[in-house]
Amino acid sequence: MSFREKSAWIALIAYGVVFGGYFYNLWQGWDARYAAGLSLGLMVGAVVMLVIITVGLTIVATFFNPRAANAPADERETLIELKAERIASYTLSVGVVCLIGALLMGWSGILVANLLLAAMVIAEIVKALAQIAHFRAGA
Amino acid sequence: MPIENEIRRLRFENGEMTQAQLADRIGMTRQTVIAIEQNKYAPSLEAAFKIADAFGVPLEQVFRWTKA
Repeated sequence: MSFREKSAWIALIAYGVVFGGYFYNLWQGWDARYAAGLSLGLMVGAVVMLVIITVGLTIVATFFNPRAANAPADERETLIELKAERIASYTLSVGVVCLIGALLMGWSGILVANLLLAAMVIAEIVKALAQIAHFRAGA
Repeated sequence: MPIENEIRRLRFENGEMTQAQLADRIGMTRQTVIAIEQNKYAPSLEAAFKIADAFGVPLEQVFRWTKA
């Protein structure tokens, strides 16, 4: 497995675990606590956890293969990155268009902000999945 | 993939060069060399020339176009 495929797995695990937990907690406490700053506190905590998990796992992956970690991406890896970015941008665009509709229908700002965050997280997960699929398929 | 190659044979004929050694010579990852060798990825023209250069043969002795 190449270093960049490992990085895609790290992103998938980090986003899945951290924001899976974030949205589960938000869902559980939505009615009672979101107005009291639950959402913002959770969001900051989630971002900090995301950085810690991503950096930690990347350091571990680098430790086992520092040469590959420092090597620039070759043309196939760059192509896979671009293909995955394109799929992720479509995903995010659909989410944003839906949320523009939600705003026009009068949904609350905090709800739309969290749904926008969800769209960004889903786009990142789709990107990681697309990268892994392309790496497994060859290109 | 309509582009086939002779990389495996050429590696064997060049002192059983490993995929990692070829990857180092052309500045790519071993996984990319594997993908090219298995006809799962068609390299750029520049990369194709680098591969041919690594074996010291013309491009057409490494890659060939197969009409469907």
